[in-house]
Amino acid sequence: MLQVGRQESSGYVLECEGLAKSFGDRRAVEGVGFRIAPGEIYGLLGPNGAGKTTTMKMICGLLRPDRGSITIAGRQAIGNIDVRGLVGYVPQDVALYPDLSARENLQFIGRLYRLDRRTLAERVAEALALTELTERAGDRLDAYSGGMRRRLNIAAGLLNHPRLLILDEPTVGVDPQSRHAILERVQAFGRDGLAVVYTTHYMEEAERVCDRVGIIDHGRLIAEGTRRELVAELGEHDSIELEASGNLDRLAEVCRSVPGVSTAAAADHSVQIVTEDGRSILPAVLEAADRSGCAVTSVDVTEPDLEAVFLHLTGTALRE
Amino acid sequence: MRAAFAIAGKDLRQRLRDRSAIVVGILAPVVIAGLMSFAFRGIESFNFTLGVVDLDHGPVATSLVRALQSPQLKSVITLRRLSSASVARDEIRRGVLPAGLVIPAGFSASIAGSRPESVVTLSSDQLPIAGDVTRSAVQSFVSQLNADRLSVYTALAAGAPMSDLSRLASVAGKLRIPLQAVERPVGAQELKVISYYAPGMAIFFLLFTVSYAARSFFVDKSEGMIERMRAAPVRPAEILVGKALSAFVFGALSLGVIGVVTSVAFGASWGAPLPAVVLGFVLVLSVVALTALVIGLSRTQRQAEGIASIVVFGLALLGGNFFFISSAPGVMKHLALLTPNGWALRGFTDLSTLGGGLGTIAEPVFAILVFTAVVGAAAVALAPRAVRS
Repeated sequence: MLQVGRQESSGYVLECEGLAKSFGDRRAVEGVGFRIAPGEIYGLLGPNGAGKTTTMKMICGLLRPDRGSITIAGRQAIGNIDVRGLVGYVPQDVALYPDLSARENLQFIGRLYRLDRRTLAERVAEALALTELTERAGDRLDAYSGGMRRRLNIAAGLLNHPRLLILDEPTVGVDPQSRHAILERVQAFGRDGLAVVYTTHYMEEAERVCDRVGIIDHGRLIAEGTRRELVAELGEHDSIELEASGNLDRLAEVCRSVPGVSTAAAADHSVQIVTEDGRSILPAVLEAADRSGCAVTSVDVTEPDLEAVFLHLTGTALRE
Repeated sequence: MRAAFAIAGKDLRQRLRDRSAIVVGILAPVVIAGLMSFAFRGIESFNFTLGVVDLDHGPVATSLVRALQSPQLKSVITLRRLSSASVARDEIRRGVLPAGLVIPAGFSASIAGSRPESVVTLSSDQLPIAGDVTRSAVQSFVSQLNADRLSVYTALAAGAPMSDLSRLASVAGKLRIPLQAVERPVGAQELKVISYYAPGMAIFFLLFTVSYAARSFFVDKSEGMIERMRAAPVRPAEILVGKALSAFVFGALSLGVIGVVTSVAFGASWGAPLPAVVLGFVLVLSVVALTALVIGLSRTQRQAEGIASIVVFGLALLGGNFFFISSAPGVMKHLALLTPNGWALRGFTDLSTLGGGLGTIAEPVFAILVFTAVVGAAAVALAPRAVRS
């Protein structure tokens, strides 16, 4: 595993070592380990089926690992139900009752965390203020917009004042304005000293909010570090993004045959290419594109980013 | 267990806000029990109008008519005098009257003679039971008459003077045949239709709790709420207990409200309050065990709904919620005793007819508890898996 700048000091909020989980014959996670310090936002990146949801579920206590250990705030977490009170979990889909009001939903979730009456009232008021939903606290959730529900979904994960917050793709299906607000809130969590595990498909989100990133693929953590550290590992590379129409898999294949191209992979409506010198190689790439029969509509040559790192390490684009 | 109470409280809040749950849990059973009671009211208060044609006008004919107006038959037969047999036939044919009785001319005189005159009973196809009742009443009168004749004849044969004939006839007429077949209910009181269908429908709709609670569990699961609960410091058992508790409270509430409403509005008898409450309690407990078993056996909401439907309608049919189990074939009566609802119905009808206290329901309560223990043990083995998976 590529491991860069790993913290060695004690006092981590989360420590995972050698986590493994299989479902029948299929190995979902194999040997995953990472640590997160207080106030650190840790991005877990990987395509669907890479093993990140399984890893998150093991940390939350929803799945029992076959092997490995999980320590949360210095306490062994596997099979320890009390440790779950230190963790805030925000599932990918909004997990709240549409036929209950925001206040009733928060009160219910707070009671699950055994909050006493007074603390519960304080935390609910705090969560409503945080999500700017105090005025509509008595409205049923089915009258809320998607963005409001998302905000409340996150606030519900904070009711127990966790030491570790787990956010599973919290911005999926959210409008840009709400997305911006959520990302700002996540950054604020880090500043407030909360340790955060953040999974996402969106590389730009990981670049914006995460202090460190772990790249998971085929159940293994294949790289870990800050953005700068991971990009530096690529060396002097450029990233070319060709937006094109036609058979993009064919275009990626043709581009890979161009001398000087490290990797190329189709993603959404574009082909991502990692190369040592983007500007000098560009004419050959465009010529190859022409041969593939694809119509290139735009070209963007940039400094390497996490997308390029991911492509370089896995040979595939994150949103392939 | 605080989490279990939180889950139960939340489930109850949702359920009481759901109008369909109120309709299924309370309104529908009350309305259907009321309708069934109304539809079957004729069974418990049978009476008809009998057209009587007296062509004899003699003392025996008068006695027969008086016998048909006796206090015992007053609530069953209302007499209407008609002028002729043809009028009686016509009214029966047109459905105006269900039955008629024609006393022929010379009927009284024929009693003393050797050539008897026959009383004719007319009946319609629409209400044959009216003809049967008339025939039976007339037969009873004729039997008494023959007994009187036999007594007088015996006295004369034994040497009584012929001059005593009218005195002997008068004495014989005052004697009644001592042995009569009288039908009486086994219990202290007759079972009213509403007293059967009120618990019958209440229990039938209570069984729907199985479907509702199982569906609620799988909706929670598919929407990530079970996962959210499990991510909190909540044990799988607490989730199941919370769900079971809400099913229990709603089931008990539904049964209690239906009991009070059908008693007050329709005069249904559920027996003494304490044994009725105890019986209802163990019945609801068995429904909770069934719910947990359905959850344990299912993997998806659709599976749960399918299994719950089979359970609800299977038990309702076998247990006799739709018909009087006492009138069902012997096999059905035995099968009913394999179901908690069958035992509960038996308990409630026993309380209604026999009265009494906890002793009356000891057998049904024991049987339901055995059923609950068996089903509950299977549920305990299977249901936690449904929470974890």
